[in-house]
Amino acid sequence: MLIDTGAGRGSPTPLPASRSSARRWFPELSDNTVGLLFIAPFIVTGLFFMVYPVIEAVRMAFFSYNPLRPEVTRYVGLANFQFILSDPLFWDAFLQGTVWTLLSILFQTLLGVSIALLLNRTLPGIAVFRGLLLFPYIVPTVVIALIWRWIFNPEIGVVNYALIATRLVDTPIYWLSTPDMAMASTILLNVWKYTPFVVICVLARLQSVPQELYDAARVDGAGAFRRFLDVTLPQLREVLIVVVVFRTIWTFNKFEEIYLLTKGGPGTSTFNLAVYSFEQSIASLKLGVGAATGVVMMVMLLIGSIVYLRVSGFGREEAGA
Amino acid sequence: MRPSRPISAKSCIHRRDFLASGAALALVTSGHRSNAQSSKTGTVRVWGEPGPYGGVAVAAMNEWAQKNAPGLKFEIETIPWDGVYVKLMTDLAARRPPGLISVESPIAMQLMAEGLLEPLDDVSQTVGRDRLADKLKWEYFGAWTSKQYIMPAHHQPHLLLVRTDISKELGLSDPDGWSWNDLANAARTITQKKPEMAGICMALGRNLCTDYHFAALLHQAGGKMFDQRNKFEVAFDSPETAEALEFVRELQQFMPKGAVEYSFLQVVDAHVTGKTAMSFYWGRTLGRAAEEAKPIFEATEAFNHARNPRTTRRSNWNDFQGWCIPARNNPFVEEAKQALTYYLKSTPWLVKYCHSLMPNVAPVFKDQAESAELRNHPFYQSKARTVDTYFNTSLEHASSTANELLQGVNPFAGIVHGRSILAQTVQKVMIDKMSPRDAAKWGARELDSVRKENIQLVN
Repeated sequence: MLIDTGAGRGSPTPLPASRSSARRWFPELSDNTVGLLFIAPFIVTGLFFMVYPVIEAVRMAFFSYNPLRPEVTRYVGLANFQFILSDPLFWDAFLQGTVWTLLSILFQTLLGVSIALLLNRTLPGIAVFRGLLLFPYIVPTVVIALIWRWIFNPEIGVVNYALIATRLVDTPIYWLSTPDMAMASTILLNVWKYTPFVVICVLARLQSVPQELYDAARVDGAGAFRRFLDVTLPQLREVLIVVVVFRTIWTFNKFEEIYLLTKGGPGTSTFNLAVYSFEQSIASLKLGVGAATGVVMMVMLLIGSIVYLRVSGFGREEAGA
Repeated sequence: MRPSRPISAKSCIHRRDFLASGAALALVTSGHRSNAQSSKTGTVRVWGEPGPYGGVAVAAMNEWAQKNAPGLKFEIETIPWDGVYVKLMTDLAARRPPGLISVESPIAMQLMAEGLLEPLDDVSQTVGRDRLADKLKWEYFGAWTSKQYIMPAHHQPHLLLVRTDISKELGLSDPDGWSWNDLANAARTITQKKPEMAGICMALGRNLCTDYHFAALLHQAGGKMFDQRNKFEVAFDSPETAEALEFVRELQQFMPKGAVEYSFLQVVDAHVTGKTAMSFYWGRTLGRAAEEAKPIFEATEAFNHARNPRTTRRSNWNDFQGWCIPARNNPFVEEAKQALTYYLKSTPWLVKYCHSLMPNVAPVFKDQAESAELRNHPFYQSKARTVDTYFNTSLEHASSTANELLQGVNPFAGIVHGRSILAQTVQKVMIDKMSPRDAAKWGARELDSVRKENIQLVN
């Protein structure tokens, strides 16, 4: 393929035989065409693995489909949506998923910003510490969930051992056996695993904040807290908006952490909509109902994200400029 | 199939001789299926539950393969209990079934009724229909519309395991004579007098084990999920169900606090580590205790369940587990049939199967059960009574969700377990603090939706 960059036009030189032969077969391509060719693999992959499944899920949401009986697949209109919207477990899962998402995001944001502020200093060995901080984020969720099941084990878990050894509690805490504690445990796991993501994003932004702003604030007599409120937070605003949107979408859709840690239990107390969809699709073999749940989740997140971005004023500055 | 005599290309063969030879060959082929040769190559995947016994059966099948299908290898794939339903359904739906499956009876019977299994009447004839041990029937393992779809693997009841050292120390009576009230009182006494130990343990999590444990209590109370004799109408919303739920609620106060999330493994753990003095479980607990906790093994004995005071029933949940062969997208149907036949006709292999985890898998054929070699196991000396309870006397009280009170095959049971409906009903009482009557109503509604969605299985 020949890439015509436009350079060297004033001094034409004869092309080697192989290149002229190539030109015969491949016409000269514009920059746009070359660019499109470069992103084509991603577009094709995206269409196949992202767009097609979404379209298929939307289509399936209107069908009754049991994979063991494909011959009796039939169009059911809105029946799958009516089923989930009249199912109390769907609404329980929605509420529990909302609580799990909001609390996880709240703690991740607070801790993430705090840790990023601490790490935004030049101390010996800080680079190593920043690297270690990524550990929970890079370890596979399956491994983490299994380890945490041991950590939370009421009889032999290290958490109870530490609490009893330090006499903070007298009897073992049953972390995953009561609805409230199980919800708290799943939130704790999510916060532990994903806070590093917030730290990295916030830290990157903090390091690009001009020092002059802080110096000017100091000259004006602003203390540390005032500088945080008036200089740091406004600078972090855009990145926090993006982080919160992404973390909300990812957490609301999260399946594996809850399923591996509690399977949605005890009872259905830690069901979220992703677990509900899985149970409907796989345990009950109602793939249409599972797909309808996925479609509803997609619409909820789309509306939530648009409203949040509008309210937070994301991108307003650029638009104004 | 090797010809009975070599045929030379140069031989002069008359037409009549040729036809006669062909007919003889066809007869030999059809009459001696287990000796037929297969030129197929590859791996025949065999699914089994956790435990060494599936591996023993597969070793026997590989012995057949070495002689009759040198290009084939049978390979066991262990499916965890709580994942078995999902794994089976998704792989069958994805048209990627294994060659052969050993699975719990409720799921096997669902597959059978769905028309996903190969009929095995020919295998049962070859294996010998008169070989089945006393008190067992072919239909318990899986027969539907007069066809045998599932070949017996073992029967496996869960019973009441009691630490006799503790019961003697506390002056408790013989558990064999207990009613529900005696069981609850014993659990209370142990909880009060042994602060570090729970009185009793059963699974209460949202899982298959809870389904099975609760089903036994339901059947003891005379309750059922469905009425096989009345078009499989739901029979769960009943005083019997409420009574069984009430009893679980009473027992819960004497169980480990974590029991609401317990499944199979945790119940075994609780017994083997001495966290409980009594538990509901299959023979696996004794097998593990023998390896890991000798004193607990020596002190533990199995008993038929406590009698319901009203019905006097002592029902257990007995898994009449069998071998089945997926009919669709299975390239090894014939080979699986032949290898299964070879294994099931071999008493030595059947005995090895039982010995691999005593007394978890009980014998199902007369020659296997009466074999002197079967008794050549240390458990027959140290735990003779317990082994006899698991293998023989439990059959008098056998029940199952796949064949409730042995009144007929129930193809809905697999779907019920896939959705953990019994376990969820139990959790409505234990966690959500719903009344047993209301929980029974909730469970009945769920069962009714299973019936309505799958009514074609019984029509």
